[in-house]
Amino acid sequence: MSAGDIPLLSLHNITVRFGGLVAAHNVSLSVSGKQIAAVIGPNGAGKTTVFNCVTGIYAPNAGTVSVQGRDIQEALTWHVLCKSLTTGLLCGTALMLSVNAQSLWDAAINQLYVYEQPFDWLASIKAGAAYLHNQEYPLTWGLLVSGFLFATAGSLTMWQRTRHTPYTAVRRKISRTFQNIRLFRSMTALDNVLLGMHSISKTHPLATLLRTKRFRQQEERERQAALELLDFVGLEGCADSLASSLPYGSQRRLEIARALASKPLLILLDEPAAGMNPSEMGELTNLIARIRERGVAVLLIEHHMKLVMGISEHITVLEYGEKIAEGAPDVVKRDPKVIAAYLGDTHDDH
Amino acid sequence: MALAQRAYNDLRLLGVCAVLALYPLLDLCLPTALQIIPLMPPVLIFALVGLGLCVATGFTGLLHLGVAAFIAIGAYTFAITTCSIYPFQLPWIGGVILAGAIGSATGALLALPTMRLRGDYLAIVTLGFGEIVQDILRNLEVITKGTQGINPLRGPSIAGFQISSVTPTGWYYVILAILAVISLLLQRVVNSPIGRAWFALRDDELAASCMGVNPARTKLATFAISAGLCAIAGALLASFLGSSGEPSNYDFQVSIMALSMVIVGGLGSIPGAILGAVIMVGINSIVLAKIADGLSNVAAGSSNVLLSPANWKYMIFGLTLVLMMRFKSEGLMPPRQTGVKKP
Repeated sequence: MSAGDIPLLSLHNITVRFGGLVAAHNVSLSVSGKQIAAVIGPNGAGKTTVFNCVTGIYAPNAGTVSVQGRDIQEALTWHVLCKSLTTGLLCGTALMLSVNAQSLWDAAINQLYVYEQPFDWLASIKAGAAYLHNQEYPLTWGLLVSGFLFATAGSLTMWQRTRHTPYTAVRRKISRTFQNIRLFRSMTALDNVLLGMHSISKTHPLATLLRTKRFRQQEERERQAALELLDFVGLEGCADSLASSLPYGSQRRLEIARALASKPLLILLDEPAAGMNPSEMGELTNLIARIRERGVAVLLIEHHMKLVMGISEHITVLEYGEKIAEGAPDVVKRDPKVIAAYLGDTHDDH
Repeated sequence: MALAQRAYNDLRLLGVCAVLALYPLLDLCLPTALQIIPLMPPVLIFALVGLGLCVATGFTGLLHLGVAAFIAIGAYTFAITTCSIYPFQLPWIGGVILAGAIGSATGALLALPTMRLRGDYLAIVTLGFGEIVQDILRNLEVITKGTQGINPLRGPSIAGFQISSVTPTGWYYVILAILAVISLLLQRVVNSPIGRAWFALRDDELAASCMGVNPARTKLATFAISAGLCAIAGALLASFLGSSGEPSNYDFQVSIMALSMVIVGGLGSIPGAILGAVIMVGINSIVLAKIADGLSNVAAGSSNVLLSPANWKYMIFGLTLVLMMRFKSEGLMPPRQTGVKKP
């Protein structure tokens, strides 16, 4: 990491409400580079909600998420502004022309064109302009301006809504897996991993059509990298199998390979050990440790205490959407609030 | 093993191409009643529509019920920009390309407000769009000549050789060549990161989005490509028929026909879309037309509706769809990936 004291990911006072239900309340947590951290808590404590906030699936009602000290929301740039203004201008013009379409066409083309005679385009444009000039202004300027305002506002709103989305989160080098496996079932294992590279692979559509040498070389490079990732998670030889035909444990590992394909700095694993038997869980523990060796930090949600306590360096405990404890595994394990949350102490002040 | 499979596939493709390229020679030797080349251009044009629909519905999983609108937009754009009653008078190829471009732009415009819709909702919007376009074309009389249609339209001329309705073999080769080039380009797109993003979006939109695919932008591109292909098909159709036809030629029936083609052929497969078009449109405009010719000699002057093969059309379509769903629901030529093995 470039600066040692800036955490890789930090959440500051995140609050998420669904109507009256507060799924997360003032949750703060941070993960530093190359760390294995965990979020634990009873069912419904808001763990997945926190993950969804980081990856842009939910927008928090309050609080900020930042990656390497920079807000995860995309900043307003001149590029965005110019695009909105151009969209506005185009829409305004299109609105004005389409409302006057018939009479404009009549004035500029039908009245001037004599069958099979050469056509004077300049005269046509002048006639069209003259027609618009003689119209009442609500039908010309009025439409142009209102179309412009409406479309500019619309495209800025769209931009505002997409400032923090799953695909912008991947660009900020945060990748994830899902609690209930979400592979692309009709695609092969290899294609699943190749799709994971979508955010880092830059191909021009024209190069795709022409199959340029550079395009083919890049495809081959990505293929090799994908095969290497399949090896890494222990799925060598499964490259051409359909994702949906793999056994359950392999599907979990394929999801991890797919998430790693975007070369993330941080990978969020949502209950990676769910439904695994003890030997598969041992392999998973090993895999998570090796992911960290690749220089990727890991933040995991997990219910298997043995796995969490064994590999995490930092644990955050949530209950009813609030953070009730955090720290090293040994500290958290002995925290009375945590014990109460898991064993259901009725004297707790919640 | 994989190499042998690939060699076999290449050989098969080569065989199909050879048959398609050489068949007109055989056709010329047959008696007139059995000649089919003059009836082939609409079939190939519909194969192009099938490819367009396949992009949206087969690859990306967006149910699209308004392809007829884009065929109409292509046909009218081509008609307005090339017909001699308008001042534009672009060359043939210019008209076709412009039709594709305007079709794509309209497709993108339709996609803008519908990006967040899926499944049934999107189907309703595209269905409505199809109706709106017909009404617009009918009512913009000053520009589109309303229900009269725009004519005459020319065919292409290649090296001084004018292709028109009296040279059906020429038409066959022109459209076959365009179809071949477009299928090849589309196959390349499908085997690229763009195609993977389409499939991913079809399988799981949220997961695709978490892997860096921008769903809105991808759907926009899908709609634009799909609409562009349909519009090119529309331009070819108008040029082949010599007239844009009237707006109600591009009604909901056409969209449904295109959808049945793609389903019969196999959703998400390029050869499937083409095969589906050959079967469905082939039944309609070749087999039934030939039977009608034959019957008119036998039962001339009969007023029985069942003796007019054109009336069998929907019965045959319906039966085909029912039988397909019952016995081979993935289509005649499903995409290779789903054929590997199932859990």
